[in-house]
Amino acid sequence: MTTLLERGTTTGAAPAAPRRRRTTNWAGWAFLAPAAIYLVLFYAYPLYRNIDLSLRDYTVRSFVRGDAPFTGLANYLAVLRDPTFGPALVHTVAFTAVSLVFQYSIGLALAVFFNRRFRLSATLRALFLVPWLLPLIVSASTWSWLLNSESGVVNAGLHALGVAPVDWLTSPTWSLVSVIIANIWIGVPFNLVLLHSGLQAIPASLYEAAALDGAGGWRRFRHITLPMLRPVTAITLLLGLNYTLKVFDIIWIMTRGGPVDSSTTFATWSYRLGFGNLLPSFGLGAAVGNLLVLTALAFGLIYLRTQRKRVSA
Amino acid sequence: MTCTGKRWHTALAVVLTGVMLFPVYWMINVSLTREQDMRKTPPDLFPLHGTLAGYQEVLREQLPYLGTSLIIGLGATLLTVAVSAPAGYALAALRPRGGGVFGFLLLAAQMVPGIIMAMGFYAIYLRSGLLQTVPGLIVADSTLAVPFGVLVCAAFMSGIPGELLQAARIDGAGHLRTFRSVVLPMSRNALVTVSLFAFLWSWSDFVFAATLDNGGRYEPITLGIYHYIGNNNQQWNAIMATAVVASLPAALILVLAQRFVAAGVTAGAVKE
Amino acid sequence: MNSATRLATVTVAALLAVSATACSAASDSGSGSGDGHTYTIWDPYPQLDASSAWATLLNECGTKAGVSIKRTPFDTTDLSNKTLLAAQQGNAPDVLVVDNPVVSTLAEAGVLTTTAQNKIDTSAVDANLLAAGQSGGQTYGIPIGANTLALYYNKSVLQAAGVDVATVKDWVSLTAALAKVAAAGKKGITFSAIGTEEGSFQFLPWLWGSGAALTKIDSPSAVSALSLWTDWLKQGYAPNSVINNTQTTSWQEFATGGFAFAENGTWQLGNAKKLGFDYGIIAIPGTSGGTAPAPTGGEFVTVPTQTDTGRYATSDKIVTCLASTENSYNTDTALSYIAPTRVVQDRQAAANPDLAVWVRAVRAAKGRTSDNLGVKYPAISQQLWTAVQAALSGSKTPAAALTSAQSAVK
Repeated sequence: MTTLLERGTTTGAAPAAPRRRRTTNWAGWAFLAPAAIYLVLFYAYPLYRNIDLSLRDYTVRSFVRGDAPFTGLANYLAVLRDPTFGPALVHTVAFTAVSLVFQYSIGLALAVFFNRRFRLSATLRALFLVPWLLPLIVSASTWSWLLNSESGVVNAGLHALGVAPVDWLTSPTWSLVSVIIANIWIGVPFNLVLLHSGLQAIPASLYEAAALDGAGGWRRFRHITLPMLRPVTAITLLLGLNYTLKVFDIIWIMTRGGPVDSSTTFATWSYRLGFGNLLPSFGLGAAVGNLLVLTALAFGLIYLRTQRKRVSA
Repeated sequence: MTCTGKRWHTALAVVLTGVMLFPVYWMINVSLTREQDMRKTPPDLFPLHGTLAGYQEVLREQLPYLGTSLIIGLGATLLTVAVSAPAGYALAALRPRGGGVFGFLLLAAQMVPGIIMAMGFYAIYLRSGLLQTVPGLIVADSTLAVPFGVLVCAAFMSGIPGELLQAARIDGAGHLRTFRSVVLPMSRNALVTVSLFAFLWSWSDFVFAATLDNGGRYEPITLGIYHYIGNNNQQWNAIMATAVVASLPAALILVLAQRFVAAGVTAGAVKE
Repeated sequence: MNSATRLATVTVAALLAVSATACSAASDSGSGSGDGHTYTIWDPYPQLDASSAWATLLNECGTKAGVSIKRTPFDTTDLSNKTLLAAQQGNAPDVLVVDNPVVSTLAEAGVLTTTAQNKIDTSAVDANLLAAGQSGGQTYGIPIGANTLALYYNKSVLQAAGVDVATVKDWVSLTAALAKVAAAGKKGITFSAIGTEEGSFQFLPWLWGSGAALTKIDSPSAVSALSLWTDWLKQGYAPNSVINNTQTTSWQEFATGGFAFAENGTWQLGNAKKLGFDYGIIAIPGTSGGTAPAPTGGEFVTVPTQTDTGRYATSDKIVTCLASTENSYNTDTALSYIAPTRVVQDRQAAANPDLAVWVRAVRAAKGRTSDNLGVKYPAISQQLWTAVQAALSGSKTPAAALTSAQSAVK
């Protein structure tokens, strides 16, 4: 089953008559037109602005006046040389990788479980989405309350089990772990819904045929479910990666990226530079933000490459 | 697989849901807690000496905001689906030249931080008079979901067997007809998924609301929370009560929508 | 045209039609920087809604100046960013009430008018309170009121521990009192050391009380201040949660009744009355006695620059109505602030004896951006709270933390 993005770039699997190809092309762009106009109208300016902010030397005065001098890649060099760069990079990689692995596996396990359609499964599955109704300021604050060193219920529970209390949010060792846990919690519903929808598309006849052939549950999962889910998995992971790279509200509200930058990722660093302190440095904040965009695009390219390889194999 | 048996499935599902929703329960707990018990060590699992003060404030002040949030949510969802579904079909089935580049641009567009998008919208809206209006916020909130919508629709629509589409073409259907009669019905799952997330993201959006609608005549519920975040003091039981009150109608919609999805899926399976 | 596309077209058309109507409606009502009859005021008090005393006061001042007021409250941490964005787009409000450490940043950005331009009379204001709004020899606004920090204490906890609060006069006696409280099974002190401006705000009385200055935060006196806090944490006199506490959270901890002392501000006076126990207030002591200078909180009323300079006259009338000596008694009672002028401070203390301690504290207070620190303050503040967090969380010694902080401030 070939997938979305790479289709547009292959030269076409089956040779079609030129006139048919032109009509399809024209029709394709007609269908794309609303989205294309939308993209240009609403994303072009902010995207341009983001790049422009990073290529100029902004002070608050020149931000208001709009006359900041063009300094090329100076902001990017400053960011690369900043002592926060290394730790932020490590934390971003760790945060993203661990979050994605757990979000995906837990989401998949739940999707398969809820696919069994027992009593209340639809309602309970819907309830899993309730965390997404809450503005992030509320969910992140709730996690802060849960993980408070003194009055948090998690430490109270640990105490009841005889384990020493952990300084979840205030110790440099644990702060990253705490925000990862909260992020996994927030990401599971997203994976659950997408993967569950993907599971719906797998025909039951395949499973029945495999069961007739004597394949057990685990083998059916490995040889039918996982391969058939591949396009949905790919898009879920890609989107999950994008969103996880962008996550900053959760970290900002729970730990502000601290203490001592121990939970600072590129997203929180970018926000802190541009909006999180009394004297904003918009140029540097935009430079860090663009590094994130470049990372996401790099992964998008990898995604395209793997899709193309799979098709040609 | 029967629908009624396997009691332990339901029991396990209830436990899992309970674990997942424990922070939500805690939120409700805090919303009923008195000021002096907020930081009790160890904390109360139940609000034994509860107070309804937070809810009284919220119900007195916040209800109109719920209506605005609903309108914005529905509007953003409609707009998202209207833009994403045809685009997803184009990328998945029609494959116009340059479609891959377009998908790539969507990825880039999605990565723009929300605050930068809000600043861009601020400039545009100020000049076009859409600042502090509901339609403006509808359009802004839809940008949260459109790239996602296009990519998800394309991913799901690419699973539609090519033979079905070709069969429709052979029968003489044009592209529009094929889209309406073959693709859309088979993409119900994708459309519901996209609508779900578009609604959820727009309901809980804060950045756009704070930048583009603060001080407007109609504000969404997320801005209503600001009333309890003062310059020196925050009223936590009221903040959490606002979140609880805000979640209830939306949770109801969610549960009902899932019913609809389940019914649609079952109907499709039977037809096959 | 099939039904899906038709639906899409209708939706988009409908939205455009509605936006067009909103367009014309908006231009009629003069949203944004206001038209001749509506003046816009931005303030950082979202907790005060349209029925509050503050909003009523704004409307009265507007009526007296012959215009109607459109008030928009913002979250205080967000207000300066929104102001910069609005100024960039030519949409700045007519009157802006903003937190005092931000005034020099906005002035530096060219967003605010000076008193020479807007003709506000600041002659009666106490010099230490006005300093936060001055930079480069110019004054950029008038304080609406001031608040500051002091130590609240729980009378019953101290009594049970056998501590006489009158003996708490300097750091040594304070620490001794905390030790006695801890021995009696209660907790000693709570404050806020979070990694934001609030954390710096709460640390400043101790920094200044040790004799150190913001221009040199790695001096031995500064190290002694940070060591004081670090030792309290190590000994268990202060809870670990202070590293992530906002001032509200710290107050909530105090309100549970398990703490002897809490460092908090004037704005808690209303909440203090709702405490379930008897409380008192003492000034924050300096290292070897006396009152430590505490930082001034409180907002300034400023007039942002407008393209139509004719608006300044009316803005001036509104500002005077809010912040003049005659009116500040009402304004500051509405906001629970201490007035910025001597004469009104005395009046407040006379009407409400509880305020006497606060009036003294405000008179001894210092602006964070004073001494011409201006826009250098934000950078110093950020390094300061980072150093405090590093020391309290144990990743660095107080001396090492402050040394790297000072070198990071270029």
